[in-house]
Amino acid sequence: MWQGFLQIALTLIIVIIITPFLGSYIARVFLGKKTFLDPIITPAEQFIYNLSGIRHKEDMTGWQYTRAILYSNLFMGIFVYLILMLQGVLPLNITNLSAPSWDLALHTTISFLTNTDQQHYSGETTLSYLSQTVCLGFLMFTSAATGLAVGIAFIRGLTGRTLGNFFVDLIKSITRILLPISLVGALLLLILGVPDTLAGPATTTTLEGNIQVIARGPVASFEFIKQLGENGGGFFGINSAHPFENPNPLTNLIETIAMISIPAALIYTYGIFANNTKQAWLLFWMVFAIFILLVGISAIGEYQGNPLVNTLLGGQQPNLEGKEVRFGWVETALWAIVTTGTMCGAVNGMHDSLMPPGGFSTLFNLFLQIIWGGQGTGTAYLFVFLILSVFVTGLMVGRTPEFLGRKIEKREIVLASVILLIHPILVLIPSAITLAFPDALAGISNPGFHGISQVVYEYASATANNGSGFEGLGDNTLWWNLSASVSLLGGRYIPIIALLLLADNMKNKQPVPETTGTLRTDTVLFTSVTAGVILILGVLTFFPILALGPIAEGFQLAKGI
Amino acid sequence: MMNLPALIELAHIQLRRRPWSSLIFLGMCLNLIIAPAVYGAAGGEIERSSAWAIGLLGLLTFGLSIYLFVVIFQPERF
Amino acid sequence: MSNSTSKPRRTPQGRRDSRRHTPKVDTKGIYQRAIRDSFVKLDPRVQVRNPVMFVVWIGTIITALLTINPYLFGNVPGENLRFFNGLITVILFFTLVFANFAEAVAEGRGKAQADALRSTKSDTIAKKLSPDGKIQEVSSTTLRRGDIVKVIAGDIIPADGEVISGVASVDESAITGESAPVLKEPGSDIASSVTGGTKIISDELTIRVTADPGKGFIDRMIALVEGAERSKTPNEIALTVLLAVLTQVFLIVVATLPPVANYVKNPVSVAILIALLVALIPTTIGGLLSAIGIAGMDRVAQFNVVATSGRAVEACGDVNTLVLDKTGTITLGNRLAEEFIPVNGHSLEDVAGVALAASVFDETPEGKSIVRLAERLGAEVDFDRTQAEGIEFSAKTRMSGTDLPDGREIRKGAVDAIKGFVRSRGGKLAADLDQAYERVSRLGGTPLAVCQNGDIYGVIYLKDIIKPGIRERFEQLRRMGVRTVMLTGDNRITASVIAQEAGVDDFIAEATPEDKIAVIQREQAEGKLVAMTGDGTNDAPALAQANVGLAMNSGTQAAKEAANMVDLDSDPTKLIDLVTIGKQLLITRGALTTFSVANDIAKYFAILPVIFAAAGLQTLNVMGLVSTQSAVLSALIYNALIIPALIPLALRGVKFRPLTANQLLQRNILLYGLGGVVAPFIAIKVIDVLISAVGLV
Repeated sequence: MWQGFLQIALTLIIVIIITPFLGSYIARVFLGKKTFLDPIITPAEQFIYNLSGIRHKEDMTGWQYTRAILYSNLFMGIFVYLILMLQGVLPLNITNLSAPSWDLALHTTISFLTNTDQQHYSGETTLSYLSQTVCLGFLMFTSAATGLAVGIAFIRGLTGRTLGNFFVDLIKSITRILLPISLVGALLLLILGVPDTLAGPATTTTLEGNIQVIARGPVASFEFIKQLGENGGGFFGINSAHPFENPNPLTNLIETIAMISIPAALIYTYGIFANNTKQAWLLFWMVFAIFILLVGISAIGEYQGNPLVNTLLGGQQPNLEGKEVRFGWVETALWAIVTTGTMCGAVNGMHDSLMPPGGFSTLFNLFLQIIWGGQGTGTAYLFVFLILSVFVTGLMVGRTPEFLGRKIEKREIVLASVILLIHPILVLIPSAITLAFPDALAGISNPGFHGISQVVYEYASATANNGSGFEGLGDNTLWWNLSASVSLLGGRYIPIIALLLLADNMKNKQPVPETTGTLRTDTVLFTSVTAGVILILGVLTFFPILALGPIAEGFQLAKGI
Repeated sequence: MMNLPALIELAHIQLRRRPWSSLIFLGMCLNLIIAPAVYGAAGGEIERSSAWAIGLLGLLTFGLSIYLFVVIFQPERF
Repeated sequence: MSNSTSKPRRTPQGRRDSRRHTPKVDTKGIYQRAIRDSFVKLDPRVQVRNPVMFVVWIGTIITALLTINPYLFGNVPGENLRFFNGLITVILFFTLVFANFAEAVAEGRGKAQADALRSTKSDTIAKKLSPDGKIQEVSSTTLRRGDIVKVIAGDIIPADGEVISGVASVDESAITGESAPVLKEPGSDIASSVTGGTKIISDELTIRVTADPGKGFIDRMIALVEGAERSKTPNEIALTVLLAVLTQVFLIVVATLPPVANYVKNPVSVAILIALLVALIPTTIGGLLSAIGIAGMDRVAQFNVVATSGRAVEACGDVNTLVLDKTGTITLGNRLAEEFIPVNGHSLEDVAGVALAASVFDETPEGKSIVRLAERLGAEVDFDRTQAEGIEFSAKTRMSGTDLPDGREIRKGAVDAIKGFVRSRGGKLAADLDQAYERVSRLGGTPLAVCQNGDIYGVIYLKDIIKPGIRERFEQLRRMGVRTVMLTGDNRITASVIAQEAGVDDFIAEATPEDKIAVIQREQAEGKLVAMTGDGTNDAPALAQANVGLAMNSGTQAAKEAANMVDLDSDPTKLIDLVTIGKQLLITRGALTTFSVANDIAKYFAILPVIFAAAGLQTLNVMGLVSTQSAVLSALIYNALIIPALIPLALRGVKFRPLTANQLLQRNILLYGLGGVVAPFIAIKVIDVLISAVGLV
């Protein structure tokens, strides 16, 4: 067991070491300072600006930034939807796949557009290489870059800067952050045995003499951006559990770190923007503490195994159902918490098979959305929670609450509330509708408390733009495709609009100088209070669902029924 | 037989003059659609009157939620 | 301050209680009236204005229906449902009543105060002066702004106004509580305005009415304490949004629960769902929010300050910089002549003589004290007063004096002003003048130079006396993060000595009225909120510019209109109390919100495990509550009772301590955050034991 925890500790130490370097690199990129990549990339960017005619020196207001995101995303969405629907007649369709159903194509488009990558299909048997690379691979970059741009614009507004220009931020995110790192990462994966080819499936004869068709494709290049950009949509149906996506513990380590690196680094980036790395580290450690707690809960749950199975085996055995033996309980549990925390959504084991503590922790991550959180947006949500804590507790020091010297008033609370509200609305309401008609709509494979978890997980994953699933669910139906699409769109764009308007609002406020009467937000005390507010708000909203899902299931298992 | 625009006009005037009673009337009308749906969905496990009551309760909850949204976005009015 | 033995005052309660304005408030009927009002307020049109309580109101109606017919929404398991639903209805009903009661008590106190004020203000007959000079008797309610009225001894002054002629003493005890009559005369800054409802006790005055009926001071005060003109303050609005959001979240949580519960074959009755909803939504703060605001205004009124809006009071809590005039605020109003210092080879007698001659027409306390000191030293007036001409002090020349019949010009004033005067008369400056000047300045006194034509005779040492206890108050302010800036006409050295002695953070010496505005604007440009007090007409622009302007009631009409608060006691240090009240308002709201939200954890643990017992959640029943019904009722009873239990706190306000923000947060988080988590666990358990013992369920 201790060896297992040592593996977790080693992984996280690497993450902690990377954070300040990557964080300051991201800050340098978006503050327009010199970086070592400038000689190569600046001319390339200039070429793109000239080609596209982007007026890259013009800053945008909150609404302009929002409109730029919405229009560009709409355009990309239509483009991808058309290619998916026409994949049967387009080239690079080696396996002769026909177009998916309209609702599946719609769900897939929206899901990849929103950086969610929730998949109601198996990639290798549904999508052609063209669809995989040109559509999904393309969206993996742009959706991650969109999230990053929003996060940066939000941080800019919060720290009193103009929001910047969306198209410039989008291009910079890709050319200076996502693409260079992916290039290095994909090469590493290639070296470690992940295939990358445009050739069709390999056909071999097995030892038993049967003919086996082995799916392959441009996996390595697809794989790394899937992890780095918090996308999570696997090339293969079983995602990173597939030996071609994630062949060995070393690739597993690289892929785990790829998931967590940008969301963790962005907190540090904020510290540089705000000129307050102390606060950045405090927030980092706050998130880290909750994260470690959840990793601990699920890892111990998996280690202790299923009591019912243990009775049969006559001794305690880790739960290995739905896991790859090459990763074991440790790496699967760690991966599960990282992937749900960072809104990546890639899986290296089946979350449906996690023990109730694991189910609880993964769901809790999806509910809170800030245990690192999605690319860019997660960090922004963290500050929304900070603003809410400042408001509630800040009143208690006898002043109008201020955050970074800017007063938190009605408009800020309204916008922060929209973000707080949209999550329960889009998770709980469709879950309730689905569960009201379990036979007609749900497609639950495992009735009882676990069924509740399956349904709620699907919507929570969609709304939080995570993309992983309790995969027992039969989810390629009209109802699931459409209702999940609503959660995907609402969970992505409504908070983005609110975030950008909030940032714009904060930017336009006259800063108030700090005195001893000002509540400092970069103290251990305030950070602890924030952690309390986050947990209480999260728990209060989702406690009934957690109680009737994983908690009830846990009690049931413990009783041995 | 009144034509549609006139009907809407009338509803509008009534809504402004007697908001409470008009809302209750509208709710009852909407429930004409909702209640049978509830009854059907329950698969005969509940009585018609209960279905009617549940429909109204659902509408009331929905109305309350709208009211709260109004408070959230226009708190000055309260 | 070594001579101050009084303890530093921390809250507005305390020493000033004795001076507090309590115009015969009848408190007897308040509670009866509040009880009656709390039922009247059950009107949905009233309830709809309070989103949290409106949800409870709707819930009460539904549970009442469920008491009549428990099977309204289909079959539900359980016995004695009608009784149980009836109990829920009653508890919810009382939750509403308690919340209304809190508001009604707060309003009641204001109303009682308003009644007392109103009794001073009956319709009076006013002697209106027509443009042709005729006197016409009209009702005071018909007077309009700009009308001229005459009042003679024994009359009640019919409206707020400005004296245009006459000198008279006026009894203002009806509004200030101060029994000594005040002298009113035209033209002067401090004594020319009169307030409607006060009584003239000698002589007669001609007054120009400055307020339309119903817009006078007493009317504004009445409206404010009655709560009729109460509009929500910015922080209150933001908090309302937050409470509505929390209510919305819980509405969604509870409304989506039935399908989930049905799916695991553990249906929950509508009555219990409503109970759960009411327990979760922030009823504690929702029920007390308006009471807190009203009580805050009430406290301001008790301090005898008229605020034009709650916004101004709340802004007091946010003040970063306090701009104070030295005189009357930091030092006792009057400086007294302490010593004459001869220079230029003149004798002490010479100086005394010239000083006396310079001050014979000076009616200010300083001038009179110079006359007294000179006379004590044996000086006499050696000219015909009726032939001499007094030169009045002006802010521009910064000197005053007397032109004697024989052509001698005698002046006294700020040293550099006199230097200039002497130079203009061709005189020479004495070498020892600067020494004398510096000596006085170092002592913290105000040096006044006296001269006769071009000859400087000496320096008058005016002694400033710093108010006892003021240093401690500034110390408190500093800890709250409020910077104090002293404005004074004194020279830099004197100003710095007094500033240091009084403990202010900064001072502006040799300040002109323009400097006041400049200093306020400079602070505001840095994003600070500035408060200032003032009384003169030349303060009016600065009062208008400041975020919180507190005018003295003794001040001019212009100053009072420019300010957003008027202190009827004319006590400039009251701003410090207002800062405290403003902060208390915010702290109380924040503390109760935190408490209310923290309570929810215990309520979840009380209700959820028992209603989902069939789903195996009994293990979570950490409080060991007896049954489903007792658990739900205990949580609801706690929820209802906590409102009246916190009414005193809401009305009094959370005690404010002059600590730094972080210390305050630490304290209040422990008390209201952690306390809010723990307290309900204990209370709900106790209630559960009690109601099970009584056999209620």
